[in-house]
Amino acid sequence: MNLIAIETATPACAVGVRTTSGVEVTRVMNDGRRHTEALVDGLQSLLEEVGLVPREISKVIVDRGPGLFTGLRVGLATAIGLTQALGIELVGVTSLEMLAGGAFDAGVRGTLVASVDGRRGEIFNQTFSLDAGVTPLDDPRVTTAEREVASWASPAGTITITGDGVHRYLAIFQSVVGIIHFSQPVPSLHAALDIGSDRVASEVLVPLYLREADAVANFSTRERP
Amino acid sequence: MALVLGIETSCDETAAAVVDEEFHVHSSVIESSLDQHRAFGGVVPELAGRAHVTTLGPVVQRALVDAGLNPHDPAIEGIAVTAGPGLIGSLLVGLSAAKALSLAWGVPYIGVNHLEGHLFAPLLEQSDLEWPLLTLLVSGGHSLIVRQSGPGQHEVLGETIDDAAGEAYDKVARWLGLGYPGGPEIDHLAQEGSPGNLKLPVSMTGEGYDLSFSGLKTAVVRATQKQKDLSVADVAASFQAAVAEQLLRKVALALEHYPVKGLALAGGVAANSALRLGMTELAKEFGIASHLPTMANCTDNAAMIAAAGIYRLRHDGPSAFDLSASPNWQLADVS
Ligand SMILES: [Zn+2]
Repeated sequence: MNLIAIETATPACAVGVRTTSGVEVTRVMNDGRRHTEALVDGLQSLLEEVGLVPREISKVIVDRGPGLFTGLRVGLATAIGLTQALGIELVGVTSLEMLAGGAFDAGVRGTLVASVDGRRGEIFNQTFSLDAGVTPLDDPRVTTAEREVASWASPAGTITITGDGVHRYLAIFQSVVGIIHFSQPVPSLHAALDIGSDRVASEVLVPLYLREADAVANFSTRERP
Repeated sequence: MALVLGIETSCDETAAAVVDEEFHVHSSVIESSLDQHRAFGGVVPELAGRAHVTTLGPVVQRALVDAGLNPHDPAIEGIAVTAGPGLIGSLLVGLSAAKALSLAWGVPYIGVNHLEGHLFAPLLEQSDLEWPLLTLLVSGGHSLIVRQSGPGQHEVLGETIDDAAGEAYDKVARWLGLGYPGGPEIDHLAQEGSPGNLKLPVSMTGEGYDLSFSGLKTAVVRATQKQKDLSVADVAASFQAAVAEQLLRKVALALEHYPVKGLALAGGVAANSALRLGMTELAKEFGIASHLPTMANCTDNAAMIAAAGIYRLRHDGPSAFDLSASPNWQLADVS
């Protein structure tokens, strides 16, 4: 199986490829270009680098969120275009799973909170146990750094935090005793390739936005008596 | 016969079509997220963007199958996709998918200007029309008067200095408590009213061909505040008449200065009955052909994008993969 993975939920735009023969190359295109400008361009050169033509790809793994709405759509539309054009499988993984997998691969163990920046003061979080592989302990959620920290038991014990959602609010997280920061600005493509290789494609890929469109949220608030 | 796949996602319509080099439409599929926007009185960009993501794949698939092509290896010469103007979050979906299809199939793609697409709509119905052409392009987002000396060769004579015609319809409809979109609502109601009971000013923006609709909206608001007994149907009829009169006067002015062989109407507002009638009469008066494409070709669709793409692919060559979407891409900047 020749797999490719696409990550566009964070400001960086990243692609990865793993070939049948086990060659794996990943590339983060954090060069100031927007996702639209960088993604397919980067994917093309990555395929050339490993000597694959598009028709040799057997499966596309895409970060389906949560993360930047616009970035996500660029990744999803690209993944949908590729898989439909080639008649191959499309599999979604979440950015939070990718972060958890990345931390596990780097040797992090115990409780992990993966966090993606949702902008507007909010973060998208999920808690995992990394003691025996990667096990989610709850569902992905929208929260703030303050609320997240307040939700932890006191004393919190040892918790590792990771992801670009942590970076903006590092001081708040690190005010809690026992918190370890594992720096991981971009969700791990290696983890995406691992998770996605075993996952069976569902009929439709469902993006994980975790937040309603603004107008809808405002409208329903306004309509409430 | 060389075929091009067109993709359009600039606003709330997700569309794909297959068109050949003689502008024959082999398939044209359109899905709209309009119903999701109605309650908000306008298109909500984030909702439109989300809808495109779920709809685009099946729409492209259907367009290929309808045209008798293998969806995994279609015998096409290229892909044309709207790159602007439009809602950035919506444009990005079509553009990203088009690049992916282009990479996967190994066929070139090109980013097309949506407004130039509208100008190709008459060619979908009559490929041997006579040039030059004067085109009135009126929609929810744009209002322009354009002189075309041939396919892909255009000069913008004038455009709206404030609201687009369709936007004015939406705003007045909202003021009158009618539904969204405002065009069909007002057009329908206007048939039951009389424009004689309320005289609205016809804004003329000086000697040139520029258009203006915001003053007209203000006049409707003032008049209905002053005269509470006005029937909504009469207001709709007066407003509709004033919009058509301004557009037709400017078009007549342009026809006097620029001798052309045909007069064309394009864009969503081309559905308007008063405008269709007026344009037909003007063409007759000037002794030239009139081109009023069917509504399916006037409103946003991908066949017109494919048609413009066929021309642009041949003349400019394909786009590179690092192309960005251009939400404010002016027609005057396309050459
Ligand atoms: Zn349009």
